[in-house]
Amino acid sequence: MSSREHVVLMKGIVKVYPDGTQALKGVDFEASEGEIHALLGENGAGKTTLMRILYGEIRPTKGEIYVFGEKADFKSPREALRSGIAMVYQQFSLIPSLTVAENIYLALSSVRRISPAEVRARAEELSRKLGWSMPFDYPIESLPVGLRQRVEVLKALLAGSKVLILDEPTSVLTPLEVEELFKVLKSLRDEGMTIILITHKIREAKRVSDRVTILRRGLKVGTFKTAEISEPSLARLMIGEEIELTVKGGIPKPGAQALVVEKLKVKDDMGVLRVKEATLTVKYGEIVGIAGVQGNGQRELVEAIAGLRPAIAGRILIDGVDATRLTASKRGKLGLSYIPESKLVGLALEMNIVENSIMTLLSRFTRRLVDVDWGKARDNAGDIVRDFGVVCRSLDDTVKSLSGGNQQKLMVGREIRRRPKILVAHEPTQGLDVATANMVRRRMLNLRDEGSAILLVSSDLEELLSLSDRLLVIYDGRIVSEGRPEDYTLEKLGLLMGGVIDASYG
Amino acid sequence: MMLAMGESGLRKVYPVLESLAALIAGIIGGFIVSAVLGYDPFASISLILLSGFGNIEYLLSISVPLTLSALAFIVPLRAGLFNIGVEGQAYVGALAAVYVSSLTGFPLPIILAPLAGALIGFLIGVLRVYRGVNEVVSSIMLNWTLFYTVSFTISRYLRDPVIVHQSVRVDRMLSALEALLIALAITIAVHTILYRTTLGYYIRVMGSSPEALKYSGSSESRVTLTAMSLGGVLGGLAGALQVYTVSGFIDVTMSAVFGIGFMGIAAGLIGRATAVGALPASILISALIIGGHKLELVLGAPPELADVMIGVMMLALSAPYALRLLSSKVLG
Repeated sequence: MSSREHVVLMKGIVKVYPDGTQALKGVDFEASEGEIHALLGENGAGKTTLMRILYGEIRPTKGEIYVFGEKADFKSPREALRSGIAMVYQQFSLIPSLTVAENIYLALSSVRRISPAEVRARAEELSRKLGWSMPFDYPIESLPVGLRQRVEVLKALLAGSKVLILDEPTSVLTPLEVEELFKVLKSLRDEGMTIILITHKIREAKRVSDRVTILRRGLKVGTFKTAEISEPSLARLMIGEEIELTVKGGIPKPGAQALVVEKLKVKDDMGVLRVKEATLTVKYGEIVGIAGVQGNGQRELVEAIAGLRPAIAGRILIDGVDATRLTASKRGKLGLSYIPESKLVGLALEMNIVENSIMTLLSRFTRRLVDVDWGKARDNAGDIVRDFGVVCRSLDDTVKSLSGGNQQKLMVGREIRRRPKILVAHEPTQGLDVATANMVRRRMLNLRDEGSAILLVSSDLEELLSLSDRLLVIYDGRIVSEGRPEDYTLEKLGLLMGGVIDASYG
Repeated sequence: MMLAMGESGLRKVYPVLESLAALIAGIIGGFIVSAVLGYDPFASISLILLSGFGNIEYLLSISVPLTLSALAFIVPLRAGLFNIGVEGQAYVGALAAVYVSSLTGFPLPIILAPLAGALIGFLIGVLRVYRGVNEVVSSIMLNWTLFYTVSFTISRYLRDPVIVHQSVRVDRMLSALEALLIALAITIAVHTILYRTTLGYYIRVMGSSPEALKYSGSSESRVTLTAMSLGGVLGGLAGALQVYTVSGFIDVTMSAVFGIGFMGIAAGLIGRATAVGALPASILISALIIGGHKLELVLGAPPELADVMIGVMMLALSAPYALRLLSSKVLG
């Protein structure tokens, strides 16, 4: 199995994380010389994990890797770099206060001995060849994101890489920058480089790649010549077909407007516009679902609604009150409750279960001015633990010591038991076993039947289709479609989520 | 179930066991270094410990200001902030105590000195919140600025008319018992603030995760300012108590207060960043320092032997954390 044309060959890769999550369940992958190979899948499919294994950043639990026909067992990215493999992450590894030239030198000098002047000369030559004019003497922090990405690509190429892995490279770029990047990738391919493009965007994979490998939930679905497979087929393969409705709700009785978002614009931490004029309404007594591939602005949208992230334009009305400029706690007092996607936001991991159980409702557990009523808080924590089946040794356990699923139960249980008037839930069932996930879903339906308004953002299409009274699709920061769940076929959802079609289609 | 209870019980005493292990490691460290330096290790270590704990009254009066200094480090630490500025806050607190004492008597100096320290803590907080200045950097610079400012103020305005290289004396000294009562009261107060008030709750949430703090409805700026000011209050009080129980004055070279803030960091860490751990850790460190000085007098060995023991203890205490970090990296 040491065919020269298999630049990269990965066989039976299994990755089980220490918390028991099976990220990869035996995946084969191969990439040849002089091709652009798209690695397509939804979030959680295992694309990035697979490539981080190839790059030596994490170790596989099982499986073999061959690079240029030789068995590879990289213990660190540095070893991978020496073997000609480079990876550009979504989060750039650049030092903001150093200049472009200094950053490139820093990266190269860790791989081999080289002088700053030599690095500079080679970097200038290469960027001339690529047709890029790079501001070598400017600090990284003064550059737009697109240029920062070019610095990363330069770093990788100068290190002598033959294989370049790009993780969702277009997510930070403007359409024009995407064009430029693709042009450069194609010319690099023509020179014999192997480029692996991690992406969730079907249209991108279709446009730029020679072959495409699809992953779904840690398994490989297949590898195809891009020219021979259609966008709808890609969408179907990416999302999967076996969808089963497990939770049935009662009949919704939508009432007054609970949450109104008008022409909202929100930026992410790097200053990139992620929500681009999103407009939506949630009424009391209904569940509105948002479908979309992770990274299309969902996170920024719900964080802006919850008051954790400023809106740069537009309005947010909570129960009829303009809440655009209100703090998170004032929004809470208006009846808004928020289940964040990240446990680092929703839980204080170093603190115990009792302390975490009152995090968003501290004012209900204080006597007089400052005295926290721990007796009452402990009762509340006990209720959540019993009600949602949180497995723990004692209520004094630090949340850090709980498993991921039990942390999720605690966080979700805390918010649902508050009986909020408006609930914004982001991936509320992630990491839960099927029975618990269905219990959480039923609890959300109960809340709705009691008249609460729920905005549900989830990457689980089954969940969205079975819970939502109305379903929206978000793509690239915009709501591109709205309808009843039964209006959507899976294929249509896949195409909408992959940005292939917009609402005007069909 | 029995096993589970045993495990949870073990986890409660675990920090205490770790501290004891660190203490033993420190003694072994001192043992080795004194042997390498050519002194009888048994004689030097027993001398350090015996003389360190020989005079309880003296030991307590040294320990009390150090306890306050440790608390001043701990409170911001629980919010994830490093209050390296305790040193400067103690200078200012000591100066305020001497100055107020020259106008009016006890207890007003002890009550006003913390306000001076609070101002410094608040300033460090403001620089961080509104200007993004790392609190460690601004603290280190402020420490030296305040060192010379206080030294200048003493020699220019508060000089003792007879002994010109020191300030006027404070109106009275506190006994070791009085000082101990103050330290106990403050320890209880700090513990109560950290564990029974919303402020303490938010401080600890911020220390766990700043994102979670925002999510819980508070703000990082508000908690930073309060925690740093509170640290300043305690740092100022540390300086005032140093003057009122140990030195009675400040000399122009500042040796009366110099180093109390830095030693407070050591005491805070050896006390496992808990309010209740601050006093025992401070007593231990003070005993080692006193013993170290005695060692120099009797055996001619360097007093830094005590510093070696303190250093080894801090390293030993950080070892479990480093091990956990390493193992998670390897597994992850």
